[in-house]
Amino acid sequence: MALSTEQKTTLYRNLIRADEFNRMMYRRMMQGKLIGFYHPAEGAIAPGVAAASFLNQDDNLSPHHRGHGITHMLSKGIDIKYYLAEHTGKDTGCCKGRSAFHFSFPEHKVYMMSGFIGYNFAPVVGWGFAAKRRNQGQVVMNCSGDGSYGQGRAHEAMLMAQNWKLPVIFFCENNGMSIFSTAMEMHPKEHISSLADGYGMPSTIVDGQDVFAVAEACVEAIARARQGDGPTFIEAKTLRFNEHDIGTPDLSGWEERSEEEHASMREREPVRIATARVLDEGLLNQAAIDQIIEETKAEVQGVEDFADSSEIARPSVEELMDGVFAK
Amino acid sequence: MRTITFIDAIREAIEEEMRADNDVFVVGQDVRGAIFPHTKGLVDEFGPERIVDTPIAESGMYGVAFGAAQEGMRPICDFMFGGFSYVTFSECSVTTGQYHFLHGSQHPLPLVITAGVGTGQRLANDHAMSIHGTFAHHPGIKVAMPSTPYDAKGMFKAAIRDNNPVVIPWHMGIMMQKGEVPDVGDDYIVPLGSADVKREGSDVTVLANSLQLQHALEVAEKLKDEISIEVIDPRSFVPFDMETLLTSLEKTNRLVVVDEDWESGGFAATVSARVMEQGFDLLDAPVIRVTLPNMPVPGGYMEEYVAPNPERIEAAVRAVCA
Ligand SMILES: Cc1ncc(C[n+]2csc(CCOP(=O)(O)OP(=O)(O)O)c2C)c(N)n1
Ligand SMILES: [Mg+2]
Repeated sequence: MALSTEQKTTLYRNLIRADEFNRMMYRRMMQGKLIGFYHPAEGAIAPGVAAASFLNQDDNLSPHHRGHGITHMLSKGIDIKYYLAEHTGKDTGCCKGRSAFHFSFPEHKVYMMSGFIGYNFAPVVGWGFAAKRRNQGQVVMNCSGDGSYGQGRAHEAMLMAQNWKLPVIFFCENNGMSIFSTAMEMHPKEHISSLADGYGMPSTIVDGQDVFAVAEACVEAIARARQGDGPTFIEAKTLRFNEHDIGTPDLSGWEERSEEEHASMREREPVRIATARVLDEGLLNQAAIDQIIEETKAEVQGVEDFADSSEIARPSVEELMDGVFAK
Repeated sequence: MRTITFIDAIREAIEEEMRADNDVFVVGQDVRGAIFPHTKGLVDEFGPERIVDTPIAESGMYGVAFGAAQEGMRPICDFMFGGFSYVTFSECSVTTGQYHFLHGSQHPLPLVITAGVGTGQRLANDHAMSIHGTFAHHPGIKVAMPSTPYDAKGMFKAAIRDNNPVVIPWHMGIMMQKGEVPDVGDDYIVPLGSADVKREGSDVTVLANSLQLQHALEVAEKLKDEISIEVIDPRSFVPFDMETLLTSLEKTNRLVVVDEDWESGGFAATVSARVMEQGFDLLDAPVIRVTLPNMPVPGGYMEEYVAPNPERIEAAVRAVCA
């Protein structure tokens, strides 16, 4: 589906924001200013931006853990300062500082992140079920990696979503890697989206380094789902420029990923690809781009200031116990 | 004797057992590249046919171990983090525990389940929870957890040679801790089902394992001029060495059980109940438990507010002696 000028500008801005936020997270992790893990998103920021930029407020989003879903969440209009505060153990965090790196923005229909890869596949069926029952045109954007499609529950979810024509988009961000293991070795076929064939689910493969190409596929799948035509499988072919998570070696199998692999990956840097396109199409000029970058840097600074000036959460055990059950 | 780390002791046990028995193999995710050092380099010697990486598919991955064990092999199934074993819980707890008994005690299921567990990394519930209590609840599965490099090597070897399913997690908080281990080639095992008195004392017995054992030993050292603490490491939860505990209680008459698991329905509850049933007359005071409060383990700094630690153990020791 062709994108409007406005849509393209939104995508470009969100891509720049995703890039800056990822840099900030990477830097903070290296500085010891983040709790737990960080799974850097460099090279892989375009799919999440495309998947989430054109969702409605009441659409469900399950972000991919790569980049800790920041790419996806900021594109859906979520203020990342509450997530950074969470990731730094602060009482202003989106989960009151008790979740480490797990996010939850129920008011934005981003319910949760869990540490179990593939956890998303069970609840997305329930969200799709509820959406269909309510019949308000709500859709479910279900983002996860190539590795997550190893889980049996991925297949259970595709089965049920297709049986019931649920408005669920299976959005696979295939970076070719699952920690040290390659998708080539872990899946029998080259394309993860070929799994959809077995369920009679329509599927498409897009260049995940090209935010506009991914967004075109997303806009189309969202429209299908909204009008009750059921699920679509989108496979965005993307890349992982860094190690799986900061501190883990960057292996393929049990050997270092090669210099050549890194060099050829970096030729497909998504911001560079998008910038060339917007300049080429005359969508934005360099001054406008510089302004977006400047505004984004200020936004990121504001997010860091908020997190850094918040207090470390120090509830008593009694206060915590009080939160175990809903009132 | 040499000094090596806890995690290297586990690696040595796996390596030596794999050399000795061609049916031993490791199945897990990214075990070839080694997320944790206990499988590091093993693929170079044994190849990817015996250091086996699966897709992210815990049910299938555990299925490889389960089925191969029925076929007489001796798999070690590595779940990376303990919580991930719950992805295939029906297989690895229910079906595993019942297999031998329910089918007429005819056929063994010799497999090992391992994974890193425990607080200290601030990673929150699904990466921090303990699994020993839950597995111990399911009859038919042996459950053990080493606390020192010596025990780690000897217990992993015992687990691999055992003809039963053995769940043997290891605590991430002590993985780099060093200790004495016999030279390579000096074969030994630490039998499953034997507790170990890690420090002798006469006023109170503290039962603690893994990271919490280190905490208990710290407290014992700190209070040595005031209260004489006997520190016992259960090492195995199933079977549990009740005799060693009761023998200690004959001397101390007081018991604190430290368990990095939830208060409700955990190993500490089982031990307290058994002591009441079998050793009530030995006790001068009610048993005190130091456990995690009954909430999902919070991450971030909050882990420190709820996890057992030396201060809470000291307070319990003082309370039971008061
Ligand atoms: C149930 C479960 N098994 C294993 C892991 C360990 N793990 C964390 S991320 C990951 C790889 C995920 O790969 P993919 O889904 O392709 O996403 P990517 O990290 O490549 O973006 C694995 C195996 C986990 N977190 N949960
Ligand atoms: Mg991947």
